[in-house]
Amino acid sequence: MVDENVLRDKAKEILSSGEVRRLIGWKRGTYGYEAAPCVITDASQADDLIFDATCVQNPASFITLEEKLPVPRGQQPDTRKIAVMVKGCDSRAVVQHLVEKAYIRDDVVILGIPCRGVIDRRKAEKIFGEAPQPVLAVAEKDGVVIRVNGEEKKVSREEILADKCLRCRYPNPVISDYPLGDEVEKWADDDFSDVSEFEKESPEEKWAFWEEEFSKCIRCYACRNVCPMCYCVECIVTKLKPQWTRRSTDLSENTVYHIQRAWHLAGRCIECMECQRVCPMDIPIMTLNRKLTKDVKELFDYEPGVDAEAQPLLASYNPQDPEEYIM
Amino acid sequence: MGDYKILKEKVPDFIKALDKFEVFAPVKKGDTVRFEKIDDPSRATLDFSNTNVPPKELMFPETETLFRYRVVSTEIEPKVPSDEEKRVVLGIRPCDAMAFSIVDRLFGWDFPDPYYQKRRENSILVGLACAEPCSNCFCTSLGGGPANEEPLDAILYDLGEFYYLKTITDKSEAFVSSAGDALESAGDSERAQATELAGSAEKKIKRTIKTEGIPEKLPSLYDHEFWTQYSNRCLGCGICTFLCPTCHCFDIQDEIEAFDGRRARMWDTCMFAEYTLHASGHNPRPTRKERTRNRISHKYSYFPTKFGVIACVGCGRCINFCPVNIDIIDVLQKSKEV
Amino acid sequence: MMDDSNPYLPYIAKIEETWYETPGDRCIKTFKVNFADEKVWETWSHKPGQCAMVGRLGVGESMFCISSSPTEKDYLRFSIMKMGKVTNALHELEAGDYITVRGPLGNWFPLEEWEGKNIVTIGGGIGQAPLRPVINYIRANKEKYRNLTVLYGARTRDDLCFQPELQCFLEEEETTCRLSVDVCEDKDWEHFVGFVPDLLMEVSPSPENTIAVTCGPPIMIKFVIQNLEKLGFKPDQIYTTLENRMKCGIGKCGRCNVGHLYVCKDGPVFSYETLKDIPEAFA
Repeated sequence: MVDENVLRDKAKEILSSGEVRRLIGWKRGTYGYEAAPCVITDASQADDLIFDATCVQNPASFITLEEKLPVPRGQQPDTRKIAVMVKGCDSRAVVQHLVEKAYIRDDVVILGIPCRGVIDRRKAEKIFGEAPQPVLAVAEKDGVVIRVNGEEKKVSREEILADKCLRCRYPNPVISDYPLGDEVEKWADDDFSDVSEFEKESPEEKWAFWEEEFSKCIRCYACRNVCPMCYCVECIVTKLKPQWTRRSTDLSENTVYHIQRAWHLAGRCIECMECQRVCPMDIPIMTLNRKLTKDVKELFDYEPGVDAEAQPLLASYNPQDPEEYIM
Repeated sequence: MGDYKILKEKVPDFIKALDKFEVFAPVKKGDTVRFEKIDDPSRATLDFSNTNVPPKELMFPETETLFRYRVVSTEIEPKVPSDEEKRVVLGIRPCDAMAFSIVDRLFGWDFPDPYYQKRRENSILVGLACAEPCSNCFCTSLGGGPANEEPLDAILYDLGEFYYLKTITDKSEAFVSSAGDALESAGDSERAQATELAGSAEKKIKRTIKTEGIPEKLPSLYDHEFWTQYSNRCLGCGICTFLCPTCHCFDIQDEIEAFDGRRARMWDTCMFAEYTLHASGHNPRPTRKERTRNRISHKYSYFPTKFGVIACVGCGRCINFCPVNIDIIDVLQKSKEV
Repeated sequence: MMDDSNPYLPYIAKIEETWYETPGDRCIKTFKVNFADEKVWETWSHKPGQCAMVGRLGVGESMFCISSSPTEKDYLRFSIMKMGKVTNALHELEAGDYITVRGPLGNWFPLEEWEGKNIVTIGGGIGQAPLRPVINYIRANKEKYRNLTVLYGARTRDDLCFQPELQCFLEEEETTCRLSVDVCEDKDWEHFVGFVPDLLMEVSPSPENTIAVTCGPPIMIKFVIQNLEKLGFKPDQIYTTLENRMKCGIGKCGRCNVGHLYVCKDGPVFSYETLKDIPEAFA
């Protein structure tokens, strides 16, 4: 875990150096169980930065979310770097960005933060109810200490941590320029048992399940926009000329959207679970993504976002690739 | 008007008795709650804080057909809702009901919108007073409240064993007379309990914003740097607007299957880049800074300038569902300080 | 509207004649159309500056100014640049094909208020389309107005719209007409070479009892307005039109707003007096 003072000092140092144009991290939210992601540009704002178990968002998403207007004639573009604070899972997004050459290594300064897990707002609300004031929470080895509505309590990790944390294999950042805090021990693993269970269902049952889930979708595209790997300048579902997906919401178009997004993430999803967290309609989007993650692992022995020198899965070929995947 | 009560176990009978109407009520699916047409009364629930999607979708659906046509012909077949489709909407929270009064001004302005207006006219709105407001509710700052009646036709209060039903408009008579045995009469004691419930609920609302001066101030912040503090972390998704009970923007698209076509409208949002993108490629709102500014300014300045009322009811959805904690109360408060 | 109670329903109109105003990838084609049901004329009336949603069933509709003046009877004209999905689909159509027309929409140039004044129109490129009905209306009602000055420019000579009419303005005595092109390699070009705002300064019309109306690309409008102010024009003597992406055309769907104004409903015609305090107007 990291001492917040260390983190703030490092942020100040980096911002004061003039090396970076913005630093992405977390600050305290205005209420509830989640921190707010924040983008700061000046060392004077660094005291807002925090890190604790409420820092669920993936700051790596905001690297590619940065919008750049054309540089006015006579002015030079700001080519300074972007600094980003990352947990283990978040760091995999940066690695995958580098694999895909979304930007180059020299464009980013990575502040790596070892993490014992972040809390799931939905689980926390079921235990403690709503939290009008911002919650403080620290994940420890044997549970999560949480300060909510004026009381401090300790709950087991299983009760309150996000699902992604309960199967976390990368609690420490896989890439970092400035590792902040001591590394933490890996304490969980991922056997994909949830996906295996789902695979046992009949095609009819699976279809009925997804029909119900996709029909809830309001196509707000929060899952796409928050996804660090959904950084296409123009997304195929919102492209107007030519138009591939209708803008009307119905089961058919919603299904097209979700299936194509899942396939687009095959071999790319780094399982930060942000898509599922942000969904206002509680669609279990990760169930789709994890099925593809499992297939990719089993068929191609490939895991995205762990090796910055790797080839993207869909850009690599091996004569031993299984043929059943080619339809 | 009238005072009635409905025993909780009689609610399904009450819904069943309304068989000459289409009944819409909240339905729970997992942790999400949304209004649906009720065919099986046991699916309706009145035990919820608020629906994920506001009941605006009952008047202004996510996607609706404006008219149909055959591409090869010049005949157009309008799809305006018919007068026959009488509806009862049960369990509307007062904030969401108040939103209808606001959106009515837009859809009734100059060129009245027959699709929205027909559904509004055909619907009897039965509210559900709030006993336990959510922590981000701020309806009292916008002139609403846990038992605000405008523009409801009737309102329910959860008084433990039973719901107290207070009818408000003449329109509610039609459904009271259909409800038959499910309704019992009520009187002063229930009325007093209802007043107490509303009073205690109002005290539980902790979040507030003083709106005075905001509509005048916001245009002066057009170029202000403070918008980027928020837009920097904005994802540009449609949650805050799609789930807003007063957001009413839409797109119109032609869709064809072979020779059968329709012109349809669907929810759209000022948070999407495509919303204002010209065919030439020029975008007058090129980044999320301009789009965030437009969303807040539209609600709290442009709409009130044009229609005389702030386009926000304080339901708190945009705060609750924003994945990056862009908290409209915080934005407005900052706008007053900068 | 086809049906008074439903502003979303279009009229069906038949294309009578089409021709190209300008060549190239972004060519401008003019459509002369008549309603399939002639009875529509009994209720139809539009004013110079008003618009209509023109569309093709199966593709969609977009907002265009009606480029014919109400004084031109029994047909409507639209001059449309090939640009996006709808305009590309419209360009495929020829005489005999059907389009949809929904309108008239929006406000208009207050030509009655301008009676007794000098009128200067300053157009650029396709921006001449909304000015065409103003010019033709004034020419048809000469006795009510003082001098008419038409200033019009385009990128090249080929990009000038309505060329036969321009020739006519150049020749007739009561109209002052000056043309310009941004670039010129043509030795026969006897008119101004340079940008429209420069043409304006070259002509330097007096602001005395004069209304200036300008339409064209946003950047041109910006500099034209600056120059008009230099010439002494007051904001309430300057009129322009705005454009934005539109869907409903009736002030509902939201997207065309500049500040609290809907371009489709409160516009497209605005006096600079109104726009000068709305920064988004020129975004």
